[in-house]
Amino acid sequence: MRALEREPDERMLIEAARQNRSHFAELYEQNFHRVYAFIARRAANREEAQDLTAEVFHQALASLESFKWQGAPFIAWLYGIAANVLATHWHKTGRNVEQLNEDWGQGGSDEIERRAMLAELVDSLLPDQRTVIIRRFIEQRSIREIALELGRSEGAVKQLQLRALENLREKLGKRS
Amino acid sequence: MNREAIADELDRQVEDLLHGTRTAGAGSNPLLAVAAELQMLPDREFMESLKEVVIEEGAGNAEDLLPTPSRQRLPHPSRFSKGGDFQYVDTEHLDPSATSLSGFVPLFAGKHSGLFPGDQRSFLVSFASHAALIALIASGIFVGHVTIVKPTFLTSEITFPVAGHGGGGSGDRSAIQATKGTPPKFSDQQVAPPVIVVHNDKPKLPVESTVVGPPQIKLPESNHIGDLVSTNIVIPSNGTGASGGAGDGTGTGLGVGVGPGVGAGRDGGYGGDQYQPRVGITAPRAVYDPEPEYSEEARKVKHQGIVVLALVVDAQGHARDIRVARSLGMGLDEKAIEAVKKWKFAPGTNNGVPVSMQVNVEVNFRLF
Repeated sequence: MRALEREPDERMLIEAARQNRSHFAELYEQNFHRVYAFIARRAANREEAQDLTAEVFHQALASLESFKWQGAPFIAWLYGIAANVLATHWHKTGRNVEQLNEDWGQGGSDEIERRAMLAELVDSLLPDQRTVIIRRFIEQRSIREIALELGRSEGAVKQLQLRALENLREKLGKRS
Repeated sequence: MNREAIADELDRQVEDLLHGTRTAGAGSNPLLAVAAELQMLPDREFMESLKEVVIEEGAGNAEDLLPTPSRQRLPHPSRFSKGGDFQYVDTEHLDPSATSLSGFVPLFAGKHSGLFPGDQRSFLVSFASHAALIALIASGIFVGHVTIVKPTFLTSEITFPVAGHGGGGSGDRSAIQATKGTPPKFSDQQVAPPVIVVHNDKPKLPVESTVVGPPQIKLPESNHIGDLVSTNIVIPSNGTGASGGAGDGTGTGLGVGVGPGVGAGRDGGYGGDQYQPRVGITAPRAVYDPEPEYSEEARKVKHQGIVVLALVVDAQGHARDIRVARSLGMGLDEKAIEAVKKWKFAPGTNNGVPVSMQVNVEVNFRLF
């Protein structure tokens, strides 16, 4: 799982990105799911999570110059930025920033890994199952709409949904 | 229950979940818990859009060194998730007459409209200065500022019992960087390493945590123990290291280095394998130190204070490895760094030989 393993060439990627910012895209791909998961478990909804995730990568790119490779994984640096972005947002919206600290102490990092893993596991599903999961849960389409799109019966789509969720749960169990 | 019935029942529960009339709490169908997590996954379109912005913005930053008239700053990526109501402006394809000033101010285009021949340069200077003055008056913040730049050499008058390079750091394998803060006091011996997240809040024999180094060394102090240069200012964390102190390095100190000291170097003391001033060593001194500008953002809200920069003055007298040791925000950190990068120093010396040396520089931003 890319989300769980530190890439052996992470240091080289960081150096490449510092020399030429266009290489930042690779770091983005490696770390997107975990940064998003970090934000999403504290965000009110998907739109807010996406806005704040975008802000994290925007800030990371802007301050890449100040990053120094010191042995710690790049994601630790990104989490620092993400925590600050969240704190600023919570402060602006009148939420209690103290909760961020408590939240992290209560198994937050395990849940982030799990969510990041889940995001990547969706891509490993069979094409029909993947389509059902994306349409149903991310785009929040009805079973009927998905059935029409796939040219399958509603019963068949429900079966695909069941199998997809079972597969994801099984793979999550194996990985964690 | 057969598979068809199970699928139907699950879909009913999913439907409730999607409509917010059911939660996936403890004791509910475990597949529903997976479904609840799937609900918060990002849009595929968002992921791709943000990636494109990152790529383009990255390329844009590289081009900053050679600015071209055809490139406009990219929109903030977060706007993608709100419907993308922006438009790129391609100045290469703009009608030149739309941006030309020739029809508006003839003199800019070399045409004379008065009785006396005009001087284009003086007209431009006059126009620019009047425009700036009007903007300042209109903004209601016609105030000046003074920037006091004060290099503070950490240990310039201290006899060091040990050579001045130092560093240390550790952690408890957290996934997040050590929290930003200040180190505990230096001591010749370390009994208890610094910790940010205390796992045992009722120790049988409480001992004050210290880092190893000359006790005379004074670093910024606060009630929050932490790494001076971390980006994490929110979540308490002992850092990604693994030897019981705090930080992202190795050892029982604090920071990213190796050992019981503080910072990026090795062993006791503070720093990153650079000399610290001591007896027999002369400290660097600034010989060309243009003042930083005030940031527009800070000026507007009259934000004042001190930025402390930690940097290394190399043997050639250039400032390098500049980092913010105490942040002021609102663009003033960047302004301070921008200015100090231009400074020229007479380098510090060790027995007359120029050497790299670590110093702190205080930049005091004051409006009056």
